[in-house]
Amino acid sequence: MSFAEKLNKGSFVVTSEIGPPKGTEVEKMLEEAEVLRGMVDGFNVTDLQSSVMRLGSLAVCHLLVERGLEPIFQITCRDRNRLALQSDLLSAYVLGIRNVLVLTGDHPILGDHPEAKPVFDLDSVSLLKVASTLGEGEDMKGNKLDGKPEFLLGAVVNPGADPLELQLMKMEKKIEVGAKFFQTQAIYDLRKFEEFMKKVEKYKVPILGGIVLLKSAGMAKYMNEKVAGVSVPERYIKMMAEAKKKERPRISIQIGAELIKGIKQLCQGVHIMPLGWERYVPRLLEASGLA
Amino acid sequence: MEKAKLIDYTKFKLKPREEIEEIFKRVNRIFIIECLKCYRRFDDNTSEFPRLLDILGEAGRKISGNIGIDFLCNNFLSRKKILSLEFPFDEDIGVISCGLGVQFVAQVLEGKSVYALADSLPQSANSTTEVGFHGISLQEEKCAGCSECYLNLTGGICPLTRCAKGLLNGPCGGAKNGKCEVNPNIDCIWEKIYERFKKQGRRLTLNSVQIRNYSRPSLNLRKNLSVQNQARRGESFYGGLYPPDKKENTANKKIENFPEPEIVTIFLSQHTGKRARPLVKVGERVLRGQKIGEAEGFVSVPVHSSISGKVISLKEEIHPASLKKELALIIENDGENLIDPSAQPFRDFRNLSKDSLLKIIREKGIVGLGGAMFPTAVKLTPPKPVDTLLINGCECEPYLNSDNRVMIEYPEEIFEGVKIVQKILEVEKVFIGVEDNKSEALKILERHKEKIPSIKLLSLKTKYPQGAEKMLIKKVLDREVPPGGLPFDVGVIVLNISTVFAIYQAIVKGLPLIQRVITISGEDLKKSGNYLIKIGTPLREIVTHSFGEKREFFSEYELKMGGPMMGISQTHLDSAVIKGTTGFTILKKSSVKVSEERDCIKCGRCVEVCPMQLYPHYYVFYGKRGEWEKAKDYKVEDCIECGCCEAICSSKIPILSFIKKEKEYARNASKT
Amino acid sequence: MLVMQVKPEEEILSRVWGRRVFIFECFGCREVHFPEEKIETLVEKFKEKVIGKLSCDYLCRREFVQDYINEYCQEIERAEIILIFSCGVGTQVVSSLLEDKIVYTACDTLYLNGFQGLTVQDFNCNQCGECYLNYTGGICPLTNCPKGLLNGPCGGAKNGKCEVNPEADCAWELIYNRLKKQGRLNLLKRVFPPRNYQKIITESLLRKGV
Ligand code: SF4
Ligand code: SF4
Ligand code: SF4
Ligand code: SF4
Repeated sequence: MSFAEKLNKGSFVVTSEIGPPKGTEVEKMLEEAEVLRGMVDGFNVTDLQSSVMRLGSLAVCHLLVERGLEPIFQITCRDRNRLALQSDLLSAYVLGIRNVLVLTGDHPILGDHPEAKPVFDLDSVSLLKVASTLGEGEDMKGNKLDGKPEFLLGAVVNPGADPLELQLMKMEKKIEVGAKFFQTQAIYDLRKFEEFMKKVEKYKVPILGGIVLLKSAGMAKYMNEKVAGVSVPERYIKMMAEAKKKERPRISIQIGAELIKGIKQLCQGVHIMPLGWERYVPRLLEASGLA
Repeated sequence: MEKAKLIDYTKFKLKPREEIEEIFKRVNRIFIIECLKCYRRFDDNTSEFPRLLDILGEAGRKISGNIGIDFLCNNFLSRKKILSLEFPFDEDIGVISCGLGVQFVAQVLEGKSVYALADSLPQSANSTTEVGFHGISLQEEKCAGCSECYLNLTGGICPLTRCAKGLLNGPCGGAKNGKCEVNPNIDCIWEKIYERFKKQGRRLTLNSVQIRNYSRPSLNLRKNLSVQNQARRGESFYGGLYPPDKKENTANKKIENFPEPEIVTIFLSQHTGKRARPLVKVGERVLRGQKIGEAEGFVSVPVHSSISGKVISLKEEIHPASLKKELALIIENDGENLIDPSAQPFRDFRNLSKDSLLKIIREKGIVGLGGAMFPTAVKLTPPKPVDTLLINGCECEPYLNSDNRVMIEYPEEIFEGVKIVQKILEVEKVFIGVEDNKSEALKILERHKEKIPSIKLLSLKTKYPQGAEKMLIKKVLDREVPPGGLPFDVGVIVLNISTVFAIYQAIVKGLPLIQRVITISGEDLKKSGNYLIKIGTPLREIVTHSFGEKREFFSEYELKMGGPMMGISQTHLDSAVIKGTTGFTILKKSSVKVSEERDCIKCGRCVEVCPMQLYPHYYVFYGKRGEWEKAKDYKVEDCIECGCCEAICSSKIPILSFIKKEKEYARNASKT
Repeated sequence: MLVMQVKPEEEILSRVWGRRVFIFECFGCREVHFPEEKIETLVEKFKEKVIGKLSCDYLCRREFVQDYINEYCQEIERAEIILIFSCGVGTQVVSSLLEDKIVYTACDTLYLNGFQGLTVQDFNCNQCGECYLNYTGGICPLTNCPKGLLNGPCGGAKNGKCEVNPEADCAWELIYNRLKKQGRLNLLKRVFPPRNYQKIITESLLRKGV
């Protein structure tokens, strides 16, 4: 069953993120994906994540399609103007890609080419709208397309954002212009997430709760300080701090599983962002009873 | 050269009709705030309000009122204006201005719905959205403020603002007949660049590939600079300037005696008020310090001879302050300096009554030495009670050091003088304000401070015109002298530091005001310094002394009595030093003539610097149309003639000469 | 009304490179910022090559500059290069008046917030030609949000601070707060179409000399 079909049926979906390499060596990345074959419903391929230049999302998505794995194509507004974005969406379609996740994108100043010109010609809302229009057979200027790309469009939302209302307004807009599912920022606080879910229930769009495996107490503290809408509870930080280095993956998986089990009660799916710990994803899924 | 072609850089235009109609559908009552535009030739009414009414028709009835504000984005003045308006709570605000003005109003009136009724206009041709700035030139040249200037590679033509694609490495190849492919109304700027190089016999080499660094300037640099600048502009008081102070030339030069003049020209009018009546006849011998003119009436003071010798004539000469012909006694110096018996030291002033002190001050011809020459005895008998004495040691004019040197060399005398004034005014509280560029004077005064326990010595930020009474009172006491009012209205008497010194000399030494300390400084001078000079010394001697020779003067130089800012340009070398002469500044004439003909370009800089919070460009506007009386509506009488506006005017318009004429009209108008 | 910063020393020295220099120095925006001392120390390094120097204000006004040039024509004639301490506008004016001379600028230029107007202030305007302030409580999303987002925040702000520049507030939170205070949050519901960059080309045509 495809990712879209599963979502429509209302079954609990699992997606995992894949970070393309800096360079052309794709074997390792593909092996990691292979391990997850059958365990996840979609592979979310990042688009120059954190504004670091690397292999493109489009190419990697295509490689996955060739191997019979289902990709979700991430596309940001940072690097392309409206011409390139529309064209890339057409390209994605002919390469067999059917799911697109639209994001604003980090600012280049935060990445490894801070001198770059930020584009942001469109933003996530307008790009979603453009993608929907393409699906209806027209480009954003109303010109007819010869063959139309029909995508399952997704977007992101940050349940921990403050003020939340502002997030929700933007989320509403995204839904209005065609977002059919949402992926969230990493969740560590289930109570807060539950409140969030209550607020968005009325939209009736599937939400995939985000999971980031903690690698250390330091990482947790860093995220608390720097990353928008993330607050790792003291309890988890303590668990990670007390664990010996070799023990950390096990503890981290334990925490992750606890969160996934919680999330499962609240929403329609889970989205895992392993950030280099791809090898532990199978164990995480096992521990959460999803494998 | 032909008159410059000025481009209209107005920053905004009204939004399209449909959009305005749409906005008016949403509101019930709306008040319109309009910016009267900037960066365009200022020769006509600039209001857009009538056009708005046209567009609206019926819906215009929803407008409950409107106001036009000059330079709406002026943080300080416009805020004051807007906050003084009262809006009913259900009223919305519509703003006609560029984005800066709208954002500003929205911030000032945070609780209100603020609608932009205009769109800002792009300044740059670059479709990759480079914001363009045009300086104050109103010409074609523009700059994107990219912070990595490329002009050295492009023959001085900016490719960022003038190439529609902002290309840095040569043309795109799309130009046809020299015109840009994107916008056939503009030239392909790369062809221009190429031509310019050719003209210089240089080859345009594009071998170093240019890639822009969009992370420059760092996001915070600009912000920090803005914050710093705002803080500096707001220091002490609104407006003002930081002219280069040029004091170093004479700051450390001890006060010397100026060479004895051969003759002195003593004007009978050296004070505000009625001219003195001559007491001596032509041919009569006079002594140094002898009273030669008697005060006429209450606001007047006597004048004294500064030398001993023979009166050789009583005639009219050009007065250095009024620049009109006025009566003066000319005395020939016998070189003896025989002192008049009246100039005797008095007893200890502590034994003198308040009234006898005042009488001496008047008899000895003391006036304010800061330049205004108001009779000191009158000033010291204010019609209202005062609680504070403020001694002005700012000397904010560039070049001048006379007050500075008096503070350095005569601190004890100054403190004694302060005690005398304290006794007269019966006030405890005394402040001495000195700008912080006079650190030596500050140090020395500090050392003597304990002589008067109630005195406060204040080091003030150096900013012109900190020494203007109203600025000083605001800064030191945070009291605001009302428009048209005087310091005593807020309980203060302000005396110049040199006046205090003169009071000391009159009371303790019995010396009438026949000499004073001045600074002579400027450009190209052989000799400059601080001098004890006799009142009446002709200007010719000043010039000869400074250049070491007699010379053709006015064609190349400008001689200002006072400093470069408020100093009065002299036209006749037969004129002479008066009591209010603080110094002379001799400056090379600039190659760009100040001209009444030039157009005001509404750059707003005069408004930005006017410490009295006036709108000086209107004085130019009305002056040029000959509507002199209208300047009164813009409070021309409040102008303190500090000259900041004229000094900064981007069109080099002699704003002050307009102002002076308009003040006259205003005075006459209030008389009738 | 721009701010200048002196270019790196090596760059200027390599441009002068033993040639006779005439210097223009503009302090017209001195009340804003003028790197006087830096310029002095730099010029000191090649002072024997300086055959003339002109300090003035408003180097960006053609009519003034023409007068200055007339006065200094002999020195300028003899100079092999003209070096300019001013913003980009001043440099361009001088080079357009001295077309057959090699004119170099010694400065990089940037602008201060609010300086399209007349006071330096917190605001900026992107001259977009299609003012959005009616929907954003009078806070410009184009200049305040580094990404220039029109449809709400990117979601990267932490504690109200922008993810790109943690010293700045997230523009969209400011907008949200202001509209909330005014009870106008419904304005945020509108989906904005992408910007119309075409306006920049067409509107820039409106600038005409008179
Ligand atoms: S001279 Fe008058 S108008 Fe001009 S700045 Fe001074 S006070 Fe203002
Ligand atoms: S400074 Fe001069 S040009 Fe600018 S607005 Fe004032 S009068 Fe006009
Ligand atoms: S920049 Fe200031 S003075 Fe000029 S139009 Fe905008 S608000 Fe008005
Ligand atoms: S954090 Fe706010 S201001 Fe910063 S880029 Fe995102 S939306 Fe814009």
